[in-house]
Amino acid sequence: MISKKQLIPIIVLIALSPLFGVYLANLVGYHEPLDVAGDLLHLKDIRYQINWTPFIDYTVPGLPDMVGYAIAGVMGFLIILGIGYLINWVHNKRSRR
Amino acid sequence: MHIPDGYLDPIWCAGTYAVTIAYLIYAYRRVRANYDVSRVIPLMTVFAAGIFVAQMLNWPIPGGTSLHFVGGALSAIVLGPYLASYVMFLVLLVQALVFHDGGITTLGANVLNMGIIDVWVGYLIYRLVTRYVGGSRGIFLGAFLGGWAGITIAGAAAGTEIGLSPWFPYGIYISLPVMASWHALLGIVEGAITAFVAQYLLTKHPELTQVVKVGVRAS
Repeated sequence: MISKKQLIPIIVLIALSPLFGVYLANLVGYHEPLDVAGDLLHLKDIRYQINWTPFIDYTVPGLPDMVGYAIAGVMGFLIILGIGYLINWVHNKRSRR
Repeated sequence: MHIPDGYLDPIWCAGTYAVTIAYLIYAYRRVRANYDVSRVIPLMTVFAAGIFVAQMLNWPIPGGTSLHFVGGALSAIVLGPYLASYVMFLVLLVQALVFHDGGITTLGANVLNMGIIDVWVGYLIYRLVTRYVGGSRGIFLGAFLGGWAGITIAGAAAGTEIGLSPWFPYGIYISLPVMASWHALLGIVEGAITAFVAQYLLTKHPELTQVVKVGVRAS
């Protein structure tokens, strides 16, 4: 489904992502525009009260943020590929009938 | 732009879910009718994986905010709007369920903003510009304006939804200008990335889009 030519830029982006998503973010104080607007308007962030995943905010429990962020990138990438493979498999199976 | 849980009241959550589900059903019918699905699923999957990873590169801006590439307009320019909506839906679904980036109650709104509005605004502006400006200059200009306008209008839509939700105490007169102006500024980078990547893919790697073109059934 994915060629080496397509895989290489994705691996490079995953490898670089902790630099942007963790290191530089901590350096300047990262917030999405919506989070900033929410803070300014005193909206209550209930994400941590109602949470269903151990990987919240692209972290992996027990791992440093930089490593966890890169592993979260690999996880998300593989999950999306897995869903694509599954849909393709189901579609091919149904169309063979 | 991912709206978290708690920002929209149940009526807005239900309404945006209803619109999004209805659109995705319609888009699915259009895809099934017009494409060879077995050819486009692998391309859509790789595109979604690439968009997901590209979105992880947050570009922090001194002063406390940041931006990251969204990719709705780029997906629409390369794959067409119906396939692009499914690409964005897959990305947003995984972000919400696995990484809690965007809420579950607000997933309908997030898909509406980034998977439908961003996709269609970006696509229509790109088509309009390339109708009048030919060649690679048209691709670059159309993709830049499409990427910028897509993210700006999608940000304005998010501001409208939040502002009209009764849970938001300050109203649309504050939320809409805040979200629209912020995303209009950040959209310049979205437009630039969309322009460079779209031009590269459409001119240097036509085989990528050829998969879709081959997949289109002769009508």
